[in-house]
Amino acid sequence: MSEVLIVVVIIAILIALGFGLIGMVKGGKQGSDKMFKSLVVRITLSVVLFIFVMFAGYMGWITPNTIMLDAPTVQTSVDK
Amino acid sequence: MTTATASHDDHHGPEKGLMRWVKTTNHKDIGSLYLWFAFTMLLVGGAFAMGIRAELLQPGMQLMEPQFFNQLTTMHGLIMVFGAIMPAFVGLGNWLIPMMIGAPDMALPRMNNWSFWILPFAGAILLSTFFMEGGAPAFGWTFYAPLSTTFAPDSTDFFIFAVHLLGFSSIMGAINIIATVLNMRAPEMKLMDMPLFVWTWLITSFLLIGAMPVLAGAVTMMLTDRNFGTAFFDATGGGDPVLFQHIFWFFGHPEVYIMILPAFGVVSHIIPTFARKPLFGYSSMVYATASIAFLSYIVWAHHMFLTGMPVAAELYFMYATMLIAVPTGVKVFNWIATMWRGSMTFETPMLWAVSFVFLFTIGGFSGLMLGIVPADIQYHDTYFVVAHFHYVLVTGALWAIIAATFYWLPKWTGRMYNETLGKVHFWWAVISVNVLFFPQHFLGLAGMPRRIPDYSLQFADFNLISSLGGFAFGASFILLTYIVIDCVRNGKPCGSRPWESAKGLEWTLEPKAQYHSFNTPPSRALIEAESQNS
Amino acid sequence: MSEQEYYIPHGTYWPIIGSIGVSTLFVGFANQMHGAEWGGSVMALGFAILVFMMFGWFGQVVNESTNGIYNKQVDRSFRWGMSWFIFSEVMFFAAFFGALFYARQFSVPWLGGEGNNIFTPDLWNAFSASWHQMAFLAPGTELQSGTVMSFPAIPDTGIVTATPADVVDPWGLPALNTALLLASGVTLTFAHHALRAGHRNQIVGWLVATIALGAAFLGFQIMEYGHAYQDGLKLTSGIYGSTFYMLTGFHGFHVTVGVIMLTVILYRVQKGHFTADNHFGFEGVAWYWHFVDVVWLGLFVFVYWL
Repeated sequence: MSEVLIVVVIIAILIALGFGLIGMVKGGKQGSDKMFKSLVVRITLSVVLFIFVMFAGYMGWITPNTIMLDAPTVQTSVDK
Repeated sequence: MTTATASHDDHHGPEKGLMRWVKTTNHKDIGSLYLWFAFTMLLVGGAFAMGIRAELLQPGMQLMEPQFFNQLTTMHGLIMVFGAIMPAFVGLGNWLIPMMIGAPDMALPRMNNWSFWILPFAGAILLSTFFMEGGAPAFGWTFYAPLSTTFAPDSTDFFIFAVHLLGFSSIMGAINIIATVLNMRAPEMKLMDMPLFVWTWLITSFLLIGAMPVLAGAVTMMLTDRNFGTAFFDATGGGDPVLFQHIFWFFGHPEVYIMILPAFGVVSHIIPTFARKPLFGYSSMVYATASIAFLSYIVWAHHMFLTGMPVAAELYFMYATMLIAVPTGVKVFNWIATMWRGSMTFETPMLWAVSFVFLFTIGGFSGLMLGIVPADIQYHDTYFVVAHFHYVLVTGALWAIIAATFYWLPKWTGRMYNETLGKVHFWWAVISVNVLFFPQHFLGLAGMPRRIPDYSLQFADFNLISSLGGFAFGASFILLTYIVIDCVRNGKPCGSRPWESAKGLEWTLEPKAQYHSFNTPPSRALIEAESQNS
Repeated sequence: MSEQEYYIPHGTYWPIIGSIGVSTLFVGFANQMHGAEWGGSVMALGFAILVFMMFGWFGQVVNESTNGIYNKQVDRSFRWGMSWFIFSEVMFFAAFFGALFYARQFSVPWLGGEGNNIFTPDLWNAFSASWHQMAFLAPGTELQSGTVMSFPAIPDTGIVTATPADVVDPWGLPALNTALLLASGVTLTFAHHALRAGHRNQIVGWLVATIALGAAFLGFQIMEYGHAYQDGLKLTSGIYGSTFYMLTGFHGFHVTVGVIMLTVILYRVQKGHFTADNHFGFEGVAWYWHFVDVVWLGLFVFVYWL
């Protein structure tokens, strides 16, 4: 669940960044405003996401690289 | 009143001497450089092809070591794709787009110069690999891992850097074309007033910017796999050689549309002119081009049906591939509908354009056959594939480039080429190219694998025919060279609109288009009168 | 220059110099990798030519801009150019993220026998699919006879299929670095605001803070590489090491470029090149920095956590 949320927020950040780009291309007063506002949205979302990821990690909702973490290691000897 | 004021030399035309070509920021100069570079590379790659066909003339090993044969097939593919076809279209784009949209030049002229002047360096690095220890890359133009990583010669690293350079060039060229079309267009010209060549190039630019960086990523991973011990394409480290194929074809499939979309644009100019009718279905042409471009990003794994992909993925990629036939069919039908009941004449550009429609459609259909999973299991990596992509790239992309050359040569030089020789050359080329490639369909269906220097006896007859056609087709380019040079030097001066029903802003310029195309943007009335969308 | 005129620059030598520079750099690099002694020096020469070109070319453009030669149309062309350049960067990173996802979701589980298990049953009997591991010692690598390794290997081959002990811990340096980079995004946003409001003194302060945070990020990143190498996570540690170092490495390269660009912008702010209404140079670099910041966030989430 947390994973899905995180991915959704990342997509939202990318969209905000994209709007910033559109604003930059547009130029002028209007474009400049649009760019600035989008970038404020993107940095705010990013900070929130960072705090959420760390909190989720702290709570144990997500763990680092969980997908295949618990592989057993094997003792192997090399004989020549 | 708008005027082009910039520098003194621009007012008086080009600089004199060799440095003109090194320093130039003029779209016409850079377009010519691109076109001559592409033509030179076409001859180099064509020479490699002659070597290949000479070896395949008869069964058994005649002329060269198998390793050298593989080097020839590899370099033939790389040179033709990255050195000939792509630069030729960028050259056409450079020459024509500013003239067609009523602009004085490209949007970023200095960068335009750089996108060209990287190419000779990249080409030199690529060709220099022939003279290195271990020879040139010999793993095919698709450079699949691990052939290109674990088992490749040292020269592969030079090949990788050459691809990086070619990528920089293409990306800069594409950025420039987007900026030009979107920003330098005459203020009165709406998007749906734009000629189709401009539209197709605009869409192609998006494909280039999306695909070329992925290729750069692929060769970068190859580089580190080869030299720094990474394991991207190495199963012993948890990577996968098939990953290379996925990344490569994510670039590679848009790449084939990069080479054919501008060709669609060219043909959409020539056919209405010589059918003396407006283009049928202008807006559907635009939407079809956009659809093809979008679809090209989501069908890449149809090149990989035999890699052991899950069946669900194979089905998806098969059906998505079939979808491409719809917008492409729209285009073919539009061209035919344009010709329907037109007052047609068959000057040289029209001959090339009509044969493009016919022969490209053959290539398109064999592509559909290859896109069907159960059929592809039989056809994969046979000469059928070779026949297919040569029909779309030679009688498709190259055909359109030659058609465009004949069609716009009067505008570039102010002179007319020799029509008789043009027609002789066309018939020579169109017959020989079919003798060359059509038998390869039969060879492939009979099971002859591609990329081999020798074959079993039952393939001998068709290979002989194919090779003879190949030599004849190769020789036709000597005549083409003569026709073009003859036109530039001795052609009869022509009017500003040598084709009487040609539409487009470029025909409103002087017979030999002036150094800076439009110093004042064209009026709304003129744009409407010259629009294809009417 | 008036708005109704088209701008077309003079002929220029910078592109050909750039081509010579980048070709020299690549030829030197390739020879360096093949063990030529002179490779490194040729590489350095090529790099120097490239830097010379960039100073010259960008310097000329800045000069022309401050002399008022450009009009709005040229400004728009630059904006289009910058935006599509950045899109090509996005696609470049996409290739590496694609490799990461593919390895995580497909190739490593398949090698471990997932799916129909046609790939590996006997070939890899000691192989266990685990994300953080895997290294390849070339066959014939001298291992001391009788060595007992605490990680899987293919018997009798010396092909080690698993090393180091664990993935990089996302707490500690990576978390700190994320905080630093995000903070730099915040300070840059303040600088942007100050520029738009016309408070020049504040811009300089916030820009200096941004540059300092970016430089600190790079410093800690180098420290982290040091730790990782000591713990046995190397570029050669299989697909995890490959994706880890390539993604963070290319990101670090972009941060370095970003810091240099921000420094140039700082210099130009002090020179008074920008106004509240017209500051494309600043906007381009700011957007680039935000982009690099977002790439890091993606890295932090996908490489370190998920």
